[in-house]
Amino acid sequence: MSTARNIPNDHGLSLRMFFTGLMLVVLYGAVIGLLIAFGISYAVVLVFAAIILFVQYWFSDKIALFGMHGHIVTPEQAPQLHGVIDRLCALADMKKPRVALADTDVPNAFATGRSPNNAVVCATTGLMRRLDESELEAVLAHELSHVAHRDVAVMTIASFLGMVAGMITRIMLWTGLMGGFGGGNRNGNQGGGDNAALVELLVLVVSVVVYAISFLLTMALSRYRELAADRSGALLTGRPSALASALVKVTGEMSRIPTRDLRSAESFNAFYFTPAIAKRGVSLSTLFSTHPSLDQRLAQLSKIEAELGRPS
Amino acid sequence: MGIFSSIMGKTKPVQANLDEMFALPSASITLQSAAGMSCSGHAGVCFKPPTGQGFEEMQAEVVSLLSMDGSGGLHQEKDSFGYQWLVVEDTDIEQLVTRIHLVNSSLSDSGWGPQLLCSVFGLAQLPTGAADAAPGADTESAALVETAAGPGQLLTSTAFLVYLFKRGTFYPFVPQGKEHRDTEQELKLKSLVADDLTVETDLDRWFPLWDLPVG
Repeated sequence: MSTARNIPNDHGLSLRMFFTGLMLVVLYGAVIGLLIAFGISYAVVLVFAAIILFVQYWFSDKIALFGMHGHIVTPEQAPQLHGVIDRLCALADMKKPRVALADTDVPNAFATGRSPNNAVVCATTGLMRRLDESELEAVLAHELSHVAHRDVAVMTIASFLGMVAGMITRIMLWTGLMGGFGGGNRNGNQGGGDNAALVELLVLVVSVVVYAISFLLTMALSRYRELAADRSGALLTGRPSALASALVKVTGEMSRIPTRDLRSAESFNAFYFTPAIAKRGVSLSTLFSTHPSLDQRLAQLSKIEAELGRPS
Repeated sequence: MGIFSSIMGKTKPVQANLDEMFALPSASITLQSAAGMSCSGHAGVCFKPPTGQGFEEMQAEVVSLLSMDGSGGLHQEKDSFGYQWLVVEDTDIEQLVTRIHLVNSSLSDSGWGPQLLCSVFGLAQLPTGAADAAPGADTESAALVETAAGPGQLLTSTAFLVYLFKRGTFYPFVPQGKEHRDTEQELKLKSLVADDLTVETDLDRWFPLWDLPVG
């Protein structure tokens, strides 16, 4: 994308993100529609889509690590990272996930894997370099909370349900409308062509709307899961302000990172600690981002801080 | 933690289990007769200090409570991972466990149980004289066996028993040089104390504690 350099600023970035997401959804719907148009039954298409999602889910750890160039590290290779995670796992009484390191300067961390038994927590070298001990610990506690909350499984199922909802709408509309108009068409074939085109258009519009709504809902769910992970992570370390300061540091850094790195990281936003997109003042952005706004996250953390500070 | 609260993203902090620790004195006797080892007289509690005045007051209270009974040493340290250590010294093993328990129960009673990470008890090879005396103890009175359970003096710890609060289990930790551990010795210790203590069966949870402030 050599033209990217000519764009002076990215005010419209969030907007573009939204349409990218929408287009992805429309594309998904179109592919499914095409398959159906070729005479493949709904059941086969649904199974096919389920298989794709299942593969995404089952190999989520390998796909994410491969995409981020992350590699599993032993305690000898990364004693500090392992030490922090060992202690947090003992505090939370959870199984220690595998630990990975991604060699990129984008300061971020993510958790992936289909279940707590297959989880991987990955930090980037950029994150390790920028954050101090307590901030790094806070970020890792946030990621471990994602593992404990089974967020990969929840989000996969959520996006699958959204898809199923769209398909059911289609099926219902087809059968309902065809049933209604079809009875009349059987007698007089002349007006049938017009009606069928109209019905097809209507079905397409409604199913696209349903897909879009399910997409927005999935994003909303993702934001809620992020806040939940913030909360559990802050309670685990007992230091909400360490997480807050890590958030401020990392989001501040994000906007200064070169575009090339940003783009190469975008596809993994859903399981990131903070999305690799700089926060700009587009109000629409709150609707379709995978992560809550920085202000919202900081407000929650300062509330927890106040709760902890209360004398026992 | 139920699957429901996990899926709803509402995991609760895990409370500490303190009871299993009282099995330590009997394990110490077993270790002495089987391996000539005993508690070194050093022990420490490790916890994650949360922010806020509430916890600081609590901690100060515990420290003053511990220094009140006057016997044995006490000092506080902060490690490189940001965890706080309360290190207790006492030549009497029963007394040592009681004092460690005092710290733990004070913290968990005031609602800070989730902050407790682990307790560490030092183990040391007894001087040959004391180890020789131990086999002879069976002809002596039971009281002598009990006093032999403690080292009688503070020794330098060469091995450690780590108590995981959240699991209620022990595991051995034998550091060897810089960031290496003597796995053979750890597994040997594990089989020795397995009858007396609840040993952590998941080896993944035997995490190393380098640069222990416990002497």
